[in-house]
Amino acid sequence: MPRILPALLFAALLLAAWEIYCATADVSPLVLPPPSGVLRALVVQRHQILHHAGSTILVAALGFSLSVSFACTASVALHFAPWLRRGAMPLLVASQTVPLVALAPLMILWFGFGLLPKVLLVILVTFFPILVSLLSGYARAPGAFVDLLSSMGAGRWQVFRRVTMPSARPAFFAGLRISATYAIVATIFAEYAGARAGIGIFILTAKNNFRADLVLAGVVVSAVLTLALLGALHIIDRTTARRFREASDATR
Amino acid sequence: MLRVEGLTIRAGSRVLVDDLALAIPDGRITCLIGPSGCGKSSVIKWLSGILDRSLEASGRAFLDGRPVPRPDPALAYQPQQDALFPWLTVAENAGLGLEMRGQSRRDARARVLPLFAPFGLEGCADAFPAQLSGGMRQRAAFLRTIVQDTRFVALDEPFSALDAVTRLRMQDWLCARLTETPRGVLMVTHDLHEATQMADRILVMSARPGRIVADIPLTTPRAARTEAALADTRSTLKSLLLKETS
Repeated sequence: MPRILPALLFAALLLAAWEIYCATADVSPLVLPPPSGVLRALVVQRHQILHHAGSTILVAALGFSLSVSFACTASVALHFAPWLRRGAMPLLVASQTVPLVALAPLMILWFGFGLLPKVLLVILVTFFPILVSLLSGYARAPGAFVDLLSSMGAGRWQVFRRVTMPSARPAFFAGLRISATYAIVATIFAEYAGARAGIGIFILTAKNNFRADLVLAGVVVSAVLTLALLGALHIIDRTTARRFREASDATR
Repeated sequence: MLRVEGLTIRAGSRVLVDDLALAIPDGRITCLIGPSGCGKSSVIKWLSGILDRSLEASGRAFLDGRPVPRPDPALAYQPQQDALFPWLTVAENAGLGLEMRGQSRRDARARVLPLFAPFGLEGCADAFPAQLSGGMRQRAAFLRTIVQDTRFVALDEPFSALDAVTRLRMQDWLCARLTETPRGVLMVTHDLHEATQMADRILVMSARPGRIVADIPLTTPRAARTEAALADTRSTLKSLLLKETS
């Protein structure tokens, strides 16, 4: 049985229960539209939704890519300079305690309604999980491997490149997956706080017009985008890690 | 000859190894045995330049009378576990030491491939370590060590992770390889049987603080090392070790 089948079956059951409840209970479609109503809204408004989704994808992809680059660079710096790590980590942890509700309007206030504030917000939200995952992955490099290379005369950079970095790979992808789930939500939140286009603005407009079906259509698009990003990461993981996968498969 | 003089290793105020001196002759197998915790592995790690940073060490190593750095390029180290990198193929693992010594990956591969058959690893060059048995993994680790063509080899309990039968096979196999291409070997072991089967000389360490308390040469040819022929040596070693642990 394909691994995705139980999830599809569960989702289908949930949607069927929701559809039946809307059809049988005395509930207004303005308050709770049935799944068929949400689907209808998605089809009718597809051009508008695609336009807004394009903007969201651009911000999320740009923010997420930059976040991964920054986190990788910062992780190397923090790994090689423990004093920098001791100085920067408390600030980085503190940055994660600032609520999005406060951060998003501030970004708009400081940087306007363009691409920059939204990309910055995505970076701020997704950077930390990737960084922490990488650092914890580096710390898990097997001591026997490090010893072996050191006995061969390898320097710190060679040890990092040949042992520390490959050892951190599973942790890195775990961090990427966590951050990916935040990336789309952070983008939508940034758009919600102020933007000209995007799923966040689409949802805000729909809410102001009391169009629950369109709000839920926006939620569906958000979920689909997040799943697509996770799927893309899964494909990258599998294609770039043929040897890692083969190695672990053989031990099962 | 590789010599160690005045080696003292401390963990804070505790002395683990005390003013130890030993010599590793070219082309001979020297086994270092002793009770658990006497500092056998610390000695071999110090010599290989990878002693834990939490330990303090003082002492000097000489190669043919000249002081040498640690890690000494004339010495190849093999840890207790096979330490094969799971993300590298067996050929890439085997050539790792050569790459670290400046060879390109292609040259290292060309150098290791002809040795796969003599090391019993035919057809495994592009396999991953997880696809090999314990004995094959250990042979791949030996290939990685031997192919570096160093005059000396430091082996830290190389068979400890293997089952009894594989261990016996691997001991014979390694002795045969070292007869073909002789190296000065310093091997740490806690196994009396292994030491008496393989060594040309056995150095016995005392309990902590570790120092050499006996130097026992084994003159019987390996082929003639039957249980009866080794009985006296094993009895001597056993009483020495029991004395140290009592």
